[in-house]
Amino acid sequence: MENLKVIVDIGSSGIAAGAGKVHTHLQNIIKQDQLPIDLQQTSGIGMCYKEPLVEVKDADGTYLYGDMTPDLIEDVLHSHLKLNVPLEKYVVHTANFDTPHNAFMNDQTRIALRHCGVIDPEKIEEYEAQGGYQAIKRLFKHKVEPGKIIQTIIDSGLRGRGGGGFPTGLKWKFAFNSKSDEKYIICNADEGDPGAFMDRSLLEGDPHAVLEGMIIGAYAMEATGGVVYCRAEYPLAIKRLNKAIQQAHDKGYLGKNSFGIDGFDFDIYVKEGAGAFVCGEETALIASIEGKRGMPRKRPPFPAVSGLWEKPSNINNVETLANIPWIISNGPDKYAAYGTEKSKGTKVFALAGKINRGGLVEVPMGISIEDVVYKLGGGIPDNKKLKAVQLGGPSGGCIPAHLLDTKVDYESVTATGAIMGSGGLVVMDETTCMVDVARFFLDFTRKESCGKCTFCRIGTKRMLEILTRITEGDGKPEDIDKLLELGEEVKKNSLCGLGQTAPNPVLTTIRYFKDEYEAHINDKKCPAAVCKQLLHYEIDPEKCTGCTVCAKACPTEAISGERKGVHVIDQDKCIQCGECYSKCNFDAVLVS
Amino acid sequence: MSDKVNIILNGKHTTANAGDTILEMSRQHDIKIPTLCYDERLKPNSSCFVCVVEVEQNGKKSMQPSCSTFVNEGMHINTSNEAVKKSRKTALELMLSNHYADCVGPCKEECPAGVDVQGYISLIEKERYSDAIGLIKETNPLPAICGRVCVRPCEVACRRNLLDEDNAVGIDYLKRFAADQDFASENYYSPEVAESTDKKVAIIGAGPGGLSAAWFLQQKGHQCDIYEAQPHPGGWLRYGIPEYRLPNDILDKEVERITELGVNIHYNQKLGDNLSYAQLDKDYDATILTIGSQRGTLLRAEGEDAENVFSGIDFLRNMEMTGQRYDFKGKKVAVVGGGNTAMDCCRTAIRCGSTDVKVIYRRTEKEMPANPIEIHESKLEGVEYNLLTNPVKVNKDEQGRVKSMTLIKMELGEPDESGRRRPKPIEGSEYDEEFDYILAAIGQKTDINFLGDINKHSSNGELLANRWGDIDADEQTLQTSIPSVFAAGDGVTGPATIIEAVAQAKTAAHSCHQFLIGEEIKPEPREFFSRKANFKKQEKKDYLERYQNQQREEMPTLPENERVNFNEVELGYAGEAVAKHEAGRCLECGCSALHTCDLKAYATEYQAEQMAFEGEFNDFETDHSHPFIEIDNNKCILCSRCVRICKNVVGANALGLVERGFETHIAPSMGNSLNDTNCESCGMCISACPTGAITENVLFKPLPVKTEVSRTLCNYCSIGCELEIHHKNGFVTAVEGAKGTVNKDGNICRYARFGYHYLNDKERITKPLIKENEKFRPAEFAEVFAHIKKQFSEGEGAHNALFAGARLSNEELYLAGKLAREGMKTENIGSFHYLGREYGYVNNNRHSVPFDQLKDAGKFFLLGSEINTDNAVAGFMVQQQVVENEKPLVVITEKEHSAMSYKADENIHVKSYYHLVKAMNHYLVNNGKENRMFIDAQCADYEKYKSNLLSSDYKELVKQSGISENAVEKLADAYNLEPNAIMIFSEKEVDPATSQEVLNLAMITGKLGKTAMGVVVLKEKNNSQGLLDMGIAPSLKIGGVKPEKTDDTLKMKVQEGAFKNIMILGEDPAGTAKNQQDIAKLIDNASFTVVQDAFMTETAKQADVILPASYTIESSGSYTNTNRFIQQYTQHFSTKTGKTTFHQLVALLEQFGIETKKDAAYVMDDIARDLPGEVDNKLNFIATEYAGDKAMFNNGADFINKKFDEMFEKAFTGKRVAVEASIYG
Repeated sequence: MENLKVIVDIGSSGIAAGAGKVHTHLQNIIKQDQLPIDLQQTSGIGMCYKEPLVEVKDADGTYLYGDMTPDLIEDVLHSHLKLNVPLEKYVVHTANFDTPHNAFMNDQTRIALRHCGVIDPEKIEEYEAQGGYQAIKRLFKHKVEPGKIIQTIIDSGLRGRGGGGFPTGLKWKFAFNSKSDEKYIICNADEGDPGAFMDRSLLEGDPHAVLEGMIIGAYAMEATGGVVYCRAEYPLAIKRLNKAIQQAHDKGYLGKNSFGIDGFDFDIYVKEGAGAFVCGEETALIASIEGKRGMPRKRPPFPAVSGLWEKPSNINNVETLANIPWIISNGPDKYAAYGTEKSKGTKVFALAGKINRGGLVEVPMGISIEDVVYKLGGGIPDNKKLKAVQLGGPSGGCIPAHLLDTKVDYESVTATGAIMGSGGLVVMDETTCMVDVARFFLDFTRKESCGKCTFCRIGTKRMLEILTRITEGDGKPEDIDKLLELGEEVKKNSLCGLGQTAPNPVLTTIRYFKDEYEAHINDKKCPAAVCKQLLHYEIDPEKCTGCTVCAKACPTEAISGERKGVHVIDQDKCIQCGECYSKCNFDAVLVS
Repeated sequence: MSDKVNIILNGKHTTANAGDTILEMSRQHDIKIPTLCYDERLKPNSSCFVCVVEVEQNGKKSMQPSCSTFVNEGMHINTSNEAVKKSRKTALELMLSNHYADCVGPCKEECPAGVDVQGYISLIEKERYSDAIGLIKETNPLPAICGRVCVRPCEVACRRNLLDEDNAVGIDYLKRFAADQDFASENYYSPEVAESTDKKVAIIGAGPGGLSAAWFLQQKGHQCDIYEAQPHPGGWLRYGIPEYRLPNDILDKEVERITELGVNIHYNQKLGDNLSYAQLDKDYDATILTIGSQRGTLLRAEGEDAENVFSGIDFLRNMEMTGQRYDFKGKKVAVVGGGNTAMDCCRTAIRCGSTDVKVIYRRTEKEMPANPIEIHESKLEGVEYNLLTNPVKVNKDEQGRVKSMTLIKMELGEPDESGRRRPKPIEGSEYDEEFDYILAAIGQKTDINFLGDINKHSSNGELLANRWGDIDADEQTLQTSIPSVFAAGDGVTGPATIIEAVAQAKTAAHSCHQFLIGEEIKPEPREFFSRKANFKKQEKKDYLERYQNQQREEMPTLPENERVNFNEVELGYAGEAVAKHEAGRCLECGCSALHTCDLKAYATEYQAEQMAFEGEFNDFETDHSHPFIEIDNNKCILCSRCVRICKNVVGANALGLVERGFETHIAPSMGNSLNDTNCESCGMCISACPTGAITENVLFKPLPVKTEVSRTLCNYCSIGCELEIHHKNGFVTAVEGAKGTVNKDGNICRYARFGYHYLNDKERITKPLIKENEKFRPAEFAEVFAHIKKQFSEGEGAHNALFAGARLSNEELYLAGKLAREGMKTENIGSFHYLGREYGYVNNNRHSVPFDQLKDAGKFFLLGSEINTDNAVAGFMVQQQVVENEKPLVVITEKEHSAMSYKADENIHVKSYYHLVKAMNHYLVNNGKENRMFIDAQCADYEKYKSNLLSSDYKELVKQSGISENAVEKLADAYNLEPNAIMIFSEKEVDPATSQEVLNLAMITGKLGKTAMGVVVLKEKNNSQGLLDMGIAPSLKIGGVKPEKTDDTLKMKVQEGAFKNIMILGEDPAGTAKNQQDIAKLIDNASFTVVQDAFMTETAKQADVILPASYTIESSGSYTNTNRFIQQYTQHFSTKTGKTTFHQLVALLEQFGIETKKDAAYVMDDIARDLPGEVDNKLNFIATEYAGDKAMFNNGADFINKKFDEMFEKAFTGKRVAVEASIYG
């Protein structure tokens, strides 16, 4: 009998869930019991909500097990080895039978993520075994002109996946047209959006795809050097990247005369960023690589003309680059077959928030948000009602439930007031206060403002102050207009994307949930019962058992009552902290 | 760039230069776009967003910062539509919402007339009283009066109250002091009156309002005639305020200053009575009604018609009108009311003989509106108070005279709308008190019984009364419903204060002026002022740390027992020292950039509101740790111009941005004090700051007043920078760079920026001095000149010597040469600055690279030059190339620590410049690396030089150079192979022989005299080159033509003390000698020494005669910079010495019987005539044998240079010189 192949998913989210322990345990028992098992590793298939994941391949097929623990994996192996049957109740994905989670994988179209969770990212051989580095080799073999490569990318319709959505091929063309003795291709792996982890997963799961994309780009636009600007908070990604770079070197894919091409001395190094959100903006990113304070500057000149070290430079996002080898290998038409008229191909989304299946999915452009949330994401937990989806990270905007049929393509998303961004998708249900959400996101962006532009530096601060006072019950009737007015000014008058988009959450929530704002301001009420200072707590005398738990929990001694008697809240003393509500075992504390 | 693009600018088709930004293009089209972060010297930063414009291209409209957006074909640009204005205003308002700072102090803010209190206090502190009065009179023509009787809202607002227990700065007393000084001065302040407009204005009433209106309008050229009902001017000032507070002669003097301008006052003319509007309407173009509120109100209580019940003002007026005092001896007098009129009444009643005067007031003393000092004085004089008491009725005797008053006790209830607690009668507390007289000082009414007369004769409208019975006038403009009639003062507002009447008069005068010249009548634009109080109430703790308690100077008064008369009670400050001390208590709340701040100017222009966006604000400590540069982050708008200029132009990189978002701010690197960074104290950051965030830490009390600007040349180093001297009537407050011919960017260094205090220094010598019995006595020029002539004519010429310094102008040096050679008959002429080295430096800069070619340099070699401090403006030009264009910089130095090291790409430490350069030359020549083509075509004497050079021992040269053979050769190759290599050296460090070898090097490599390559020579003093060009060396001729045989004996003669008579012009050899022995004998052996200088230098102390030197700004002439570029400067100040240095030399020459031109410009003609006609254009190789002599004197032998360096060093080691102390004396 052939050995069983067992692959543990060891990416950052897997490790966080305990994949490391599972892997160690497996190593131990395999050694100890001399089990006929080939233990391998891979990284992040995207099913984060089921991590740790372990894939078992037996003669009959492949079974992905979720929620694994060291004990459970023993059971799983036992079942496969001894009984020769998969332990169905833990299987989250397989082709051999239905599982409640199959849809999560089956409904995806994986191009960028094609190797994630499939290969061992630390082994260049595995990448090559999957057709890796074939694209570039083919280009060299057929002596394809740079112009033709660029045309291929233009034809594919690939647009910048970092958020801007600028046609990648055109960007390359601009860089190609800038003649210079030095030229750079930069991979933007700064990924500053909280909740977004597309780039990290790609770098952890398939670093060679990104490198190959860069090498193809470098060749196409005649770049002389490459930099991956990766945030230092991604140690595993950086480790695997560096390992991959070393492997590529060893193979002669990087360095002097790469791939044996005379004069093609392309090399790549990793620059670790200190985690400033604004450094995802290309001019700030360049400043940061140059050792300066990460602050954006006015464009033009665009980096394609004057970028890193004032030399022509091209900056692509990780996901964009990961698509490149696939497009070269499969042809632009095949890529362009996916998606809509103006938004081709696929897009990776990080699903988060109030959703059953949080994780990473790659879907064709043009799929509706509804399908993403319900078909792939499995809907909202506890059968709550969906209220809105925040798309595009903290500087994106929210799309309300009634626009759920919006297609995910650049134009449709922008029309709603949100942006595609890098693909963060946060689902919010009825228990979410939209004013509070806007405040939360704006608090992030205003802290991350580099401080350069007046509007971004002070304007976002003033907007935040208005939002804060609204959520604290001190809102004034003119506040909504003030937010709209100031928000528009901040958008219009900021140098970079951070300021230009920071007001989006505020503007879109006002656009779609003005009634919530009005309730906060005029009625001093938070309809979603989130804004603490607007809540009103009362004890239901019918339900109160006089257990005194609430009175003991109250930090301001606002609750009084005899033991076994009905308790009351003194509203003058109540500070709306919610302690009584969370402590009451009888649902006797009512919030309104 | 010549390529043009078509654009649509504000709706009009036009063209623009391709490659220009919208801002540059707009400036060419004379469109002003505001900007805060743009600095012509730097690349655009685009952070303030004040310069936004609307751009439409490819059908897309957007806002773009114009400073960094380039014009494009087909672009539609709108620079000032509503959207643009809104964005700019919002940008300004956002900045202002975090601008926790005061533009002006609360004193000025609270003054109804907006008098610049801080400004005049600072002028008083500088003993510039008439300037102070001039400043006050810009808004208030009555300082002597207001200085005595103003209600002083300024003092209530004064922040000194927070520190010194409610003892404000004595603002009013200071004003009075200045006014009294101005009265006493011959040069008292009097404004300029514009040429007559042939318009006439009738002003009704010669009270404070009428007088003020006349003052303002007459200055505009309108003839003002005041019609006054009373026989004397002053109105309420004379008839309401008793003389013991405001003497009539003071009033008359102040009025005289107004009538002097041409204002007429017609007395005993009452409108509606013996003066009809019919006549005014006929004779005048406009009328201003400043009639006051003349009618007193009585008690509004039963029995007020009793005899001996007066209104307070009638009581006071009657006495002034009749000249008769009431006789209150033995009488009981009640004064009802709590205001200043009540105080005037009660204190006058005492002076009328009563010893039983009671003030009856219904609230407590705390609520009394009278000045506290008045209450205090009244008590001293014996006035008693029945507080919380109110009249109920007056009880008469049989004759209907006052017998007693029924009074009722009061208590305070809830605060009313005025914020004061409302008094309520206590039921049943009535009681009777006997009185003989009752004076009601509880209010006044306006009397407008002339309304009928006006309306009867008015042809274009009807004058109306408002509901309070005052004149109805537009609140903003004070125009009445008759367009040609304006009104101001109490007649409009009802009874108010003098200063409010003055303020109103200014408004009415402004409107009236607009009316007269046919402009639309609108109020003066509201000036924006940022206020700390907008953010939070100011409290003691906000000021405790920075300021110390300081006792208020009390006003001396008449002893109480001498007051039963109408003599002035307050006597005025005892003297200047008292005034100065009191002025010193001012906390200088206002910003020193008040008049230069762009943020404030734009905020005014865009009518921005500081509190449009309320919220959190940053509150930083002001950083005073640097002795010259003050950083107040609260005023920073984060344009980062300081950061950028310090990095890109200065290269010091001493400032940076720290933190993110709203917390972002500017800080010295590593969070240290600026002192601990690479800061070079050049002050370029100050020049870049558009607000008051980085300012000069001045030695004197800051003087944020509007200044005049005079353009002159710097007299420190040899770069030749043009300066803007900012001054108030000659008191220099700041020096800025002008965009000069050499300093094109307007950059200046620390010497120019911080080294101007000598211009204000009071220790300056302003008269000729003759030494008698070891003491100097002042003398007249004539006496001194005759004396000098006599001494220098007595003996042989060989015993005379003349030394002139490099601070003197070409013209002065030329005359000095004439004086020595033709007058004193001597060739013993020279400068200490160059002593013994003259001929070696004469022509070293004939082919120096002009500064504006530095931008095209390929590589810089700095040889023995601390360029960033000694010649910093040239340093900036180099540095900008090094930082922005990455031009390499090699620093070659003999010093162990060069201040340039950290800026260099390569540092080469050598032992001897001379041997290094000679070794380089040897290497190049010996290895056939010389540029033969260049040498053959352009140079002379090469072969001679070559054989001489090659005869020296190469190994020895290398050894002495202090670096390895390999390093010498590498350096020589580097210089040779870089086409645009420029070697920069400074004479301060590099001796004449080395200087020659550097020129030889440039010739060997074929770089001399070509564009952007070769050599730059830096000289030490502003006119070092002039010394050589004007022949200030033995036998040296005009134009720096060396004699056939040079005479090197002058130095020896100096050291031997070979002269009997010495004249030293503008040099301080004794104070600057590196070795005192070099100079000791010179003066000791001389029997007669004349020194010309501005201060008592070490040399001057030893002189027999001292001539006072004039300053550059006080005279005209020219300097020749180190590039041999001659720049002229002209006189802006009259010289304090009576005669300029130049004219002293002219007079001296005349004394010697030598006629010369009496104007610097004509002397320049003579100089030009004396220049040699043909100059040999060949470049001569000159061999040298050994390193030449180094300078014997520091600081270019110049006292002012020396003092600056000393002051500078001291500033960092100890406390900065106290405000009063002289630095130079």
